[in-house]
Parts: sequence; structure tokens; C-alpha cells
Amino acid sequence: MRKLLTLTILAVLTVLGSGCASMMGQDKQKVVYHINYNDEKQLSSALGNVKNHISAIGQDKIDVKVVMHGNGVDLLKIANTDLNMQQKVIGLKKDGVAFQVCNNTLVNKKIDYKNDLFDVSKTDIVPSGVAEVANLQQKGYVYIKP
Amino acid sequence: MNNKEIKFSDEFLNAFVDNQIAAEEKSSAYSEISQDESLNRQVCELRKLHDLVQLAYRDPPAPPARAGASLNSHQARLRFGVAASVLLTLGIVLGSQIRMPSTSPSATAAPDTAAQHVAKNISLIKPFQAKAAAPADGKVRVASLQSMAVIPATEAPEPVPEPAIVQNEVPHNATTKVLVHLARDDADQLSQALDDIEGLLKHYSKARQSARVEVVVNGKGLELVRTDTSLFAARIQRLQREYDNLTFAACQNTIDRLAREQGIVVRLLPGVITIDSGMAEIMRRQNQGWAYLQV
Repeated sequence: MRKLLTLTILAVLTVLGSGCASMMGQDKQKVVYHINYNDEKQLSSALGNVKNHISAIGQDKIDVKVVMHGNGVDLLKIANTDLNMQQKVIGLKKDGVAFQVCNNTLVNKKIDYKNDLFDVSKTDIVPSGVAEVANLQQKGYVYIKP
Repeated sequence: MNNKEIKFSDEFLNAFVDNQIAAEEKSSAYSEISQDESLNRQVCELRKLHDLVQLAYRDPPAPPARAGASLNSHQARLRFGVAASVLLTLGIVLGSQIRMPSTSPSATAAPDTAAQHVAKNISLIKPFQAKAAAPADGKVRVASLQSMAVIPATEAPEPVPEPAIVQNEVPHNATTKVLVHLARDDADQLSQALDDIEGLLKHYSKARQSARVEVVVNGKGLELVRTDTSLFAARIQRLQREYDNLTFAACQNTIDRLAREQGIVVRLLPGVITIDSGMAEIMRRQNQGWAYLQV
């Protein structure tokens, strides 16, 4: 009887051990960067953070979304004219970063995404930027406000 | 005087906060601490820390070896132990082998544990906490907690395994819960923050998504909900009327601090609730599965 108990416990431990080990293995790291300000220096360093984050983890091991609303949408407005900012956005897009724009902001500020913003298509637009940040967190994305 | 200093050493205060001293000693300490401003604050900081640590690392997993308590002979226990560790190692090796080949992202990604989630966001709170006035001593402690928490946050590629508090499975159609932390102070920015909050509430009501939104104000942000300083009192009251799923929560620590340092008796707009500490609330809500946003 006791032997049976011991064996059972050992079996359970084995399963637990393998379970632990597989928990430690990584899937893609999921991150949402939240941007709602339009200070050029701050924006530039925020994109630098994203770039460094991707280099540290490895492009194929990370899924990054940059969600912009309010003043944050100005990032892509600036990128429309400022080549430096534009290069940064292009580089990050190549690394697989998705840039998402808040539709509420487009409506409130009367922004025409086709002409005023750099490289935005319909699929990049979310109904509410704030709701999207919350939604992504519920899907397991980690929140970072640079 | 001397006696007092010894009595209220760091060790004593820590024990006090951890509830590890005798009842009569505690009651006398209570009365002395309540009379001493800086001590009071120090205890408050310690208590906050204590709470934060407990929140972040709740429910440590029970040691699995307990299950074998029925074996009583020394030898049996030793043998059991050896066998267990061998099998555990084997299990870990096997588990990691099984995992290795699956480099493609699976749909059921390893859920973020709440502790990890909190640890990551602690770094965001840092600038705020550094601003909060605290005695030199308390500050050092807060800073050390932060650096502790920031280490895994910076670039840790692997989630900390803490199965006890995995809680990321959000059932479909569940109530979405969002904590919005108002960390701004100038009128222009506050107005934009209110736009954001209103937009969020509108979005959920349009999408018929059940949701709760809690706006936490502390520090400078408290001015938004004070009757004597709020520039948006009418707007806040309108929002509260229109959305019964919206709560404004003011930090009691900030209110107490204003009373102590500037003699201000804070009166809040109607319907604004108070919470013990804005920081603790942010941690608590995230542990309960709320999304966190700083606007």
C-alpha cells in the first residue's frame, strides 16, 4: 500500500517537473507600447526603446504593437515630413512592429489618415486606442509606457 | 530619548508592520507613533511596501514534498528524496526537450503571471514614487524594492513560473475592467485625459461590451476631484451621471499628506470614493486581472 502511494507521488512529481520545464520555455513575448504624447524628443526615444527591446529579445521572439491616440498620433504626422522619424518607423515595421491608430482621435482632430499620416492603411486603425490597449492586455500583452 | 531611539529601530518597525510584537508593546507603540510625524510616515511607507510585496508574491506554492509525510522511517524518507529529485530532474529535462522544437508561436501562449505583470509595470510607477515625499530612510527601501522588481522587468525573456496566481484566461464576453491612472496635472493634459476616458466609455457602450472603468487619482492628479481646485467638476459629474460603470477613486495617502503638510482639508466632488493608496490600488487591480493604463 505504502509502495503504491510512493509510486503515485513520484509519478505526480515527474509530471509536475515536466510541466514546470515547459512553462519556462518561451513563446513570443507580447508587448504593447502606449503613446499619447507628441513631444518629438520623447517620441524619438520611445521608438528607440522599441528598437532596443526587439534587438534584445530577437525579432522572431517578440510581437510588438505600438498604439497611438490623442497627441500620440502626431508621431505619424511627424514621420510624414521628418525623414529621421520616417526611417525609424520604416525600420520598426520591417521588424514586424504594428502601428495602430485610434479612430476616435482621427475623428476628433479631423485627421485624414491617407494624407496627414505616414503609411497608414485601413487595417491599422482601431476604433478606440485606449480600449485597444486594455484589450491587448487581456490577451496577454505586457503594457509599457515609454 | 535614547530609549525611544532603540525602541523604534528599523528592526522594531519592521516587526511592528509584520505584526510580530506583543500586544501591549504594540499598543504603546501605536500611541507614540501616532504622535510622531516622521515615524508615522515611516511606518506608513513600510506598511505600503509590505502590502505591495504581499500582493506581488501571494500564495507561494506549497512544497510538494509534504505529500510524503506519511513515510516515517528515516531511510525510507532518504530513499524517497533521492528518487524524487532524480525523477524531478528527469521531468524537467523531458519537459524542456518536448518544448524546444515548437518555436512557432502557438495560439495558447504561456500566460503572463500576475506577479510578472506587476513587476513589469512597477518600473512605470517609479518616477511617480520618486516624487512622493518620504523620509530618507523610507526612500531607500522603496528604491530597493523597485530595483528588485525592475531586474526581471528590463529584459527577462522568460516568464517567472508562478502557477499559483495564473489568471489570464479571460472568458469570452466577460466584463472588461480597466484602471486608468491619471498622472498628469496641467489643465490641457487633464482635459485630454478626460477625452480619453469618455471615448473609452463610449466605445464600450456602443459595442455593448460590459465594462468597468476606475480612474485612480493621486499626487497632483488629486486636484481634478477636489471641490476647490477642479477645473472640470461639471464634466466629471456629467460623466458620472451618464456612465454608472465609471468610478473616480482618490488616494487617501495624498489626502492625508495635504492635511499634514499644507493644512488643506480636502473635500472631494460628490461620488468620488477614496482608496487607501493609489499605488496599492494599481497593484491590487492588476492582480485581479484589470488592464492598466496611464493617461
